[in-house]
Amino acid sequence: MKLVSVFSPERPWVWLAPLVAVLAVFTLFPFFYNIYLSFHEFNSFRRTLVFVGFDNWKGMFEDAKMWRAFSVTLIYMTVCLSVQFVLGLGLALLINADGRGYHLIRSLLLLPLVVPPAVVGMMFLLMEDSQFGVLSWMLQSLNLIAAGAPLLTSSKTALVGVMLADIWQWTPFMVLIMLAGLHALPKEPFEAALVDGARFRHMLFHLMLPMLRPIIAVALLIRGIDLFRVFDYVFVMTSGGPGIATQTLSFYTWKQSFSFVKWGYAATLSLFSLVFLIVVAHAFIRAAKVRW
Amino acid sequence: MNTLDKRNGKRRLADLAGQLAARRISKRDFLKKAAALGFFAAGAGVLGGAAKRPFSLLSPAHAADEGEQSPEVTAWLKDVGKGFRGRNITIKYATEATPPSQVLSTLVENDFTRYTGIEVQVEIVPLEQVLQKLTQDVAGGLGSYDLYYLDQSWMASFSNDTVDPREMYQNQSDLAMPNYDFDDFLPPLTEGISMFRNKMVGVPFDIPIFIVMIRQDIYDKMGLQTPTTYPQYLDNARAIQAEYNGEIFGTTGQMKSGHYSLECDWTNWLWGHGGSIFGPDGKFAGNDARGIDAMEYWLRLKENMPPDVLNWTWDGEFTSMAQGLAAQVYSWGEFFPGLDNPENSKVAGLLEPVLPLQPVSLRAPAEAGHGEIPGTAHQGGSALAVSRYSKNLDAAWVFAQWGSSADMNIRVSLLGGGASPMRRSTYEDARVLAKARPGVGSTRHFAVTRRAIENHMGSEPDHPAWAEVSNGVIPVELGRFFAGEYRSPKAVMDEIAEGVDKAFARY
Amino acid sequence: MATAQKTRPTWRAWQLSVRAAAAWAVVAVFMFPLYWWISVSLRHDQDIFNKPPKLFTPEVTLKSYKVVLLGISPSSTSIEKSGAVHWGESSATFALPSLLDSVYIGVASTLITLAVSLLAAYALSRMRFAGHHHFIFWVLSTRMLPPVAVALPMFFLFREFGLIDTYTGAILIHALMNFPLAVLLLKSFIDDIPREIDEAAMLDGASRITVFTRLILPSMRGGIAAAAVLCFVFSWTEFLFILSLTQAGVNTVPVAASTFVTSTGTAWGYMAALTCAAVLPAFIFIVLVQKHLVRGLTLGSLK
Repeated sequence: MKLVSVFSPERPWVWLAPLVAVLAVFTLFPFFYNIYLSFHEFNSFRRTLVFVGFDNWKGMFEDAKMWRAFSVTLIYMTVCLSVQFVLGLGLALLINADGRGYHLIRSLLLLPLVVPPAVVGMMFLLMEDSQFGVLSWMLQSLNLIAAGAPLLTSSKTALVGVMLADIWQWTPFMVLIMLAGLHALPKEPFEAALVDGARFRHMLFHLMLPMLRPIIAVALLIRGIDLFRVFDYVFVMTSGGPGIATQTLSFYTWKQSFSFVKWGYAATLSLFSLVFLIVVAHAFIRAAKVRW
Repeated sequence: MNTLDKRNGKRRLADLAGQLAARRISKRDFLKKAAALGFFAAGAGVLGGAAKRPFSLLSPAHAADEGEQSPEVTAWLKDVGKGFRGRNITIKYATEATPPSQVLSTLVENDFTRYTGIEVQVEIVPLEQVLQKLTQDVAGGLGSYDLYYLDQSWMASFSNDTVDPREMYQNQSDLAMPNYDFDDFLPPLTEGISMFRNKMVGVPFDIPIFIVMIRQDIYDKMGLQTPTTYPQYLDNARAIQAEYNGEIFGTTGQMKSGHYSLECDWTNWLWGHGGSIFGPDGKFAGNDARGIDAMEYWLRLKENMPPDVLNWTWDGEFTSMAQGLAAQVYSWGEFFPGLDNPENSKVAGLLEPVLPLQPVSLRAPAEAGHGEIPGTAHQGGSALAVSRYSKNLDAAWVFAQWGSSADMNIRVSLLGGGASPMRRSTYEDARVLAKARPGVGSTRHFAVTRRAIENHMGSEPDHPAWAEVSNGVIPVELGRFFAGEYRSPKAVMDEIAEGVDKAFARY
Repeated sequence: MATAQKTRPTWRAWQLSVRAAAAWAVVAVFMFPLYWWISVSLRHDQDIFNKPPKLFTPEVTLKSYKVVLLGISPSSTSIEKSGAVHWGESSATFALPSLLDSVYIGVASTLITLAVSLLAAYALSRMRFAGHHHFIFWVLSTRMLPPVAVALPMFFLFREFGLIDTYTGAILIHALMNFPLAVLLLKSFIDDIPREIDEAAMLDGASRITVFTRLILPSMRGGIAAAAVLCFVFSWTEFLFILSLTQAGVNTVPVAASTFVTSTGTAWGYMAALTCAAVLPAFIFIVLVQKHLVRGLTLGSLK
């Protein structure tokens, strides 16, 4: 068969075949392997996987630490998403201007995005140390935190300490997306509103936000998925502590797999995360009418 | 660099490039060697002023006498190397970044590969990752690693995956290193980190062990007595804390929630108060009266530490000492040379090593369980084991002997900035003794670490579930306790008891 | 009235400068952690920790850069003098090879990703078929599996095929990781090109493949560049897969950086030097395709 006729219009699957093949390896294989693993557990003595039936699944629903990790993850996701969105929109409004200075600002804001997240965790760990850390020192000087209360050692503030790293690295992402959204807005409605003497708040809530809705939806979806899987910052900065105050689902899963060598249980937790995300993302895509 | 050096350098670079083209050396080695020749260094001269020295650490021309390999070892390597040369053998192992593994990875090319032709790839990763990689390796029995770096707490899990070094030594006399001498290792070490049920799982490789380190200048200024007991240690911490009012803390710690280091600190207070992790019945015993005493002592001590200890592992603990933030610490002896090094310590020369404290009371191993040995000097040793699945068993065994030989033990102690010796002969070596003075590469804590190993060493249990418990339940619940989530020490210990017994019940 | 008109431009100028000042203040806040990290990379060991911290580097030294990028260790001289390998300073600290590995893996995985994704993106943009939307959701859902859940199965699969600790394996895993991004992004760029162009060309007798190579590809060069840079950056910063699927033979920057955490302290200066050096090339690339970046970061859903 000639190449030309293989790639005929009626055969999309020929074009898609390489992708389908690699995606099957990358998604279907791990997916089914995790299902298989979730009904087994690794036995250190026998060095093999032993069939355990539904034990892992039952165990998961009774595992209080898992539910705590799940709620920590949800809190983490919600707070970071809100802060990054509000800050992102605010900053985008601030720097949505012409001029060489603003161009440079937009470029500089890309910097946090190219630092490996694990390294960002190390940076913030160093800066948040209450004895030697520069960030803690500044916050103490401004009387925002007490000198004797390191951010990362209290159950109440440790999660905030971790979130700072996430917010630093990913707020610029929101800024960029919101800037693009603002850029694409038509000018006329705003000019008309100005002529009518509309206040800024009115324009923001009644004109700008509704018009930005599709863009906001996509930004929240993509950031939300990544936030739900947060791992590097927690791993590097707190090891989930104090206690389990910052233990997210991803970190808990990693611990099961790497520290405890409970591969079956880790697979069960992974599948739970996956199913949860698929359901929520699907619902969100429908509700917000996100389209690709 | 003079002209002659430059010319030689260029010729060697050409040789290297030729080897690279012929695929005899890897790209990594090529770069390393090229950089050693100073060609990159010439570029660096532009960046940073005078480029001082090429990398080659111990090339014959520059090597200091004290760090040089003994001629007998070289001769032996050349001799056994005949059997390996030209066979393109590469052996691999994964290790945590510890002083001995770093010295070994620095020396291996010049002092081992050069004579035997055996390439060695050392993979340095975080400790948890080492465990995961070993587990994956043994699960398939494929031998992608030829050697295993085994933490003392993993001996039980991997005891069936290694070859007993004593057997190899006896059965393969053609590969045996002359005067290797298994009896030269301090006996408690062999017992505590190498043995599991009469099998020698690997050869002792590293022995970080708890000693007391005090700021002698502060002690002198305040007229304090060197502590010998737990109550004295606490009293001194309080006195210093009161005197310096938070400028300098009484003591410091490694108490990061969820991290193994927190468990290490806990065992030290527990054992010193006559408690044990397990009872003879194999059940968790940290919640008995002695265990609670230990917790209460620890709480009082904690009041004299920087609040950040709750987010510090050994890393932060070391920094706090090096920065002069705390006046005494009961922790890894391997900190000592770093603290004595003026390049990264503000208290160089001001510290004194002190023997582990007299216990309030001490349980005998028979009163504890799962092979636990209570003691006032917690050890975190490791062994180097030859994998049963290795395809280059002989080469791996030659490397293991070289890496744990008396000669290498001395060199690691001299060059290793922190590694305590495992062999009697090393402690008595003249070159090692000569460095028992304040300053870079100090060995002046060795007398103390040796007595700690011989008389006070405490070892964690040997059990396949121990890795999970010591990295999970114990440091996580203790972390919650110090974050104020439990009403009393008894409450947290009972919770840990439940978690530990559940984890052990699975086996 | 006259006064009002006179003051107006000044008021406006004042407003503009306040805005610029605020914008720069925000940027300063965001740049501060990086400033600090660079300053750590330029300090002597004894200057990294201070109580209170010193905002300005007391004495700039390139020692850390020399150690990690050139393998020249000042302490190699001190070893000879005094016999100490100070923590973190051994051949293990020479990290230039990991930088080169990162480049090699980043470039190669990007090329593979683009080749496969361009074909798929064209089909998804131009052809309608049953399950079109489900297919796209499937592609997107690959971002939902926690990386931990992929690492272990991939380890066993890689072991079967002898891909552990090989460049092929590392390149493959990063290519796999980047497919969803590249496919969705490239599809959105192809969507921008009017269908009528394809149809007109095909009426003239051109085949799909000719349309694709002669018309589509040349007209979306900017989009391809943007996709390439993003794939490269994500490969450049990826940590967990390389950590799990390689041994000593293959090593990238984030993994090399993690080896500076040792049992006797963290070599902060080296870690900072290596990562600062690694951030620079990625930053330059990403600035070059800034125009298309937003579309890339939203997986092509925003135009």
